[in-house]
Amino acid sequence: MSKLLNVRQAHVRYPLSGHLMARLTGNHQAWVNVVRGVSLAIDKGETLAVVGESGSGKTTLVMALMGLVPLQRGEVEFESKRILQGPRGRLKPDRRRVAMMFQDPVGSLSPRMTVRAALAEPFEIHAPEVKDTGAEVARLLDLVGLPVEFADRYPHQLSGGQARRIGVARALALDPALLIADEPTAGLDVSIQGDVLNLLSGLQKRLGLGIVIITHNLNIVRHVADHMAIMYLGQFVEQGTSEDIFRHPRHPYTKALLSANPNPDPDAQSDRLDLAGEVPSLLNVPSGCEFHTRCPYMQTDCRESVPVSQEAASGHVFQCHYPLKED
Amino acid sequence: MSRAKLLRPDGLLISTWRKLRRDPLGMFGLIIVLLIGVLTVFAPWLAPYDPNEVDVYSRLLPPSGDHWLGTDQLGRDIYSRLLWGGRVAMKVSLLAISVSMAIGIALGMLAGYGPRWLDRILVVTFDTIRSFPTIMFALAIVALVGSSLNTVIVIIIIASIPIYGRVVRTQTLALRDRDFILAERAMGASTVRILFRHVMPNIAAPLFILASMDVPVVVGMEAGLSFLGLGVKPPTPSWGSILNDGYSYIRNSPWPIIAGGIPLILVTLGFTFFGESLRDIFDPKLRKKG
Amino acid sequence: MSCPPVLPVLEVDRLSVSYRTERGDLKALRNVSLQVPRGEIVGIVGESGCGKSTLISAMIRLLAPNAQLDSGEIRFRGEDLLSLDLESMRALRGDELAMVFQDPMTSLNPVLSIGRQMRDIQYRLKESKADKNARSMRMLEKVGIPDPQARLRDFPHQLSGGMRQRVAIAMALMMKPSLLIADEPTTALDATLEVQIIHQLKALQAEIGCSILFISHHLGVIAELCDHVVVMYAGEVVETGSVREIFHSPSHPYTRMLLACDPGGITERTKVLPIIRGFLPDLVDLPAGCVYRDRCDMATEACAEQKPELKDLDGRKVACLLTAESL
Repeated sequence: MSKLLNVRQAHVRYPLSGHLMARLTGNHQAWVNVVRGVSLAIDKGETLAVVGESGSGKTTLVMALMGLVPLQRGEVEFESKRILQGPRGRLKPDRRRVAMMFQDPVGSLSPRMTVRAALAEPFEIHAPEVKDTGAEVARLLDLVGLPVEFADRYPHQLSGGQARRIGVARALALDPALLIADEPTAGLDVSIQGDVLNLLSGLQKRLGLGIVIITHNLNIVRHVADHMAIMYLGQFVEQGTSEDIFRHPRHPYTKALLSANPNPDPDAQSDRLDLAGEVPSLLNVPSGCEFHTRCPYMQTDCRESVPVSQEAASGHVFQCHYPLKED
Repeated sequence: MSRAKLLRPDGLLISTWRKLRRDPLGMFGLIIVLLIGVLTVFAPWLAPYDPNEVDVYSRLLPPSGDHWLGTDQLGRDIYSRLLWGGRVAMKVSLLAISVSMAIGIALGMLAGYGPRWLDRILVVTFDTIRSFPTIMFALAIVALVGSSLNTVIVIIIIASIPIYGRVVRTQTLALRDRDFILAERAMGASTVRILFRHVMPNIAAPLFILASMDVPVVVGMEAGLSFLGLGVKPPTPSWGSILNDGYSYIRNSPWPIIAGGIPLILVTLGFTFFGESLRDIFDPKLRKKG
Repeated sequence: MSCPPVLPVLEVDRLSVSYRTERGDLKALRNVSLQVPRGEIVGIVGESGCGKSTLISAMIRLLAPNAQLDSGEIRFRGEDLLSLDLESMRALRGDELAMVFQDPMTSLNPVLSIGRQMRDIQYRLKESKADKNARSMRMLEKVGIPDPQARLRDFPHQLSGGMRQRVAIAMALMMKPSLLIADEPTTALDATLEVQIIHQLKALQAEIGCSILFISHHLGVIAELCDHVVVMYAGEVVETGSVREIFHSPSHPYTRMLLACDPGGITERTKVLPIIRGFLPDLVDLPAGCVYRDRCDMATEACAEQKPELKDLDGRKVACLLTAESL
């Protein structure tokens, strides 16, 4: 069964600004490696959550998949076709088949364009043969459950939740096969976070979409994602089905993340895994297992050698010298 | 499910007008701008005399019923000359500003949105032009092609391009990494489309304000060049040459030079107040949601 | 034997604040009353539009120019804060009344070193520079900053976001204020970092014995940190109580539904997440009766006519007609 999206060993790096500065500060790196060898696969009708904190590289990863930043190394296959790289290393996915929603719901809409104009954009760019964009706009608004009167509004007249829905509508305009959502619940009140997520799941069921969700909100991942990948300093430290990972996290970082989300229950017993220090800078990735500087179970070989990939149950992959036991 | 009544979103023009109405200085500026517009457009009908009609017996007369602002050293009616000179001033400013703005926008967007090396070249070009003293630049051009109205316009255009270019570049740079531009790129929009449909409308407001405040500057430049004899050739009336004449004959009569200064003062006040009022209206910090 | 009740550190008494807008008066706070007892941590829970920012602004006297105080008082250790002159207000701030904001750069001066800023706070003490530095270093250690001596020489931009926030907390608590107001201090931080900082805050509070007014929309953090909780909705207080009462047996329908929506509290995987349907009421044109009735799943006709008052209910307070009746 061929996968919808298949990524093998993706690497993305950013140039450090000003080689002169690098020379002056004694740091001779010209590049900072933000994504350091990520592989993932997702199928039709599935949702993959890429979970990570700031500095993990998760947003950069999807920006590379969308061709917004150059991919330095790696192979990407979409719908069994290899996506070729353009002249400056940027991928050229078929923009009709892959769509992306950005983090700031109101900010990702052009401030001087009405909702109608924003929703008509995809058609004007890719499908100029569609003459009656008005009908498409009405269809899309209906798809996301907004009344057609919203078409005349400007972005600053929308609430966060409404703007989020417009983002979904716009992403789905050309009937893509894959939707990438960057922090779909960011900035939304808890009481309406479920709204956008329910919308996405409902649409996924109806349209057979594949969805990749970037988030640091582990609380929602369990409910919306079939698979998840935990990202730390540019690499996946653990991947698998959500159920597997929630029940049996093997990598200490996964465990720390899972236990860090305070349960809204004052009497909850916390089996919290406390981490030391903060996320190291990408300019100074620790040797061996990059997590060793914060890991409470660190041993000498963690500092010296990079752990190999191990596979627990089917599809549950992780990299750790001393993985947590299954209990 | 009850909800707040949705007011029809007001268009940009209407909401701007409402805010402008409440600013007395801005309204004053707008009135002057309109007045100047009317006077200069209808100058041929409003001017009581032919601006070049010489009447040596009526030289250097003070303001009177016959000559509202008096006469100059050749007996020409100053009021009429000012009206016609206004046409020159407005023609120069409209033409110069629109052309330099168009070129400035194009280059500014290229600099802000394009590759780094292009940005560096353009910025250096802008700065070089701007640091060049306008008068010397004008002298050089005039020495090459002689003085005329068109020469003045070209000089002013070249000198003004960097101003617009710089502002557009800064605004474009600021917009470049905004989420909605990223979203357009993710949708596969071409660079041209992004620049014209998404960048331009969002930088239009500051540009319009800049243009309004630039009118007095351009008018001043033209007047200055004409004052030095580098601009419009006599006897064509221009505010600058009227000032020059008045300056030469200041010991005979103060009126010509006073009268010659009035329109410049009015233009500066009017357009500056109007432009500043617009700037306050469009200041995003003062803009409320909805 | 009855002892005279200890004066609460902070008492908000029927505070009403509105903003003058083009459309009319926006009634941001209506009859808000709450108390912060001495030595305790009170959390304010509320979503966008609930009025918590206006409340904080009123407390620290930084309301917008178009705001007007309609009625009420804010008493800090018995004194009315709102009628204090600016000199006295300034004397209070930093000494008895301290603040930490969501963005640490609000509290940190970018052009002064950390050490200098921390010494400046101690300006009232007649001590040597070395003694002041020693105190600063002890505080930095308590908030978990490694190598405090080196940090004193650093500037804010050299520190990570998490470190900056820790410094902000250290600076706020260094002079042992009676009250710390913390406005979403950990919202912008990663979950693992948030957890560390909350722990340190709790430990410091126990040591110093100050009171904390903690605003957040992370229910888990509130549950873990606070002793008492105040729930706000659309400019009103709808419920107050101890943290256990609120989280284990919420009375007000909004509190109940809010807790139900928090995905962190939903342990079983569910495909459809609960939400609170509807929108916030128009604060300019308020509907009659209960402000929550349009979104309430238990609303009756009486709710549209009669406005519920905040009534005592076994030691806590609820503003709901239905719970009052069931007593």
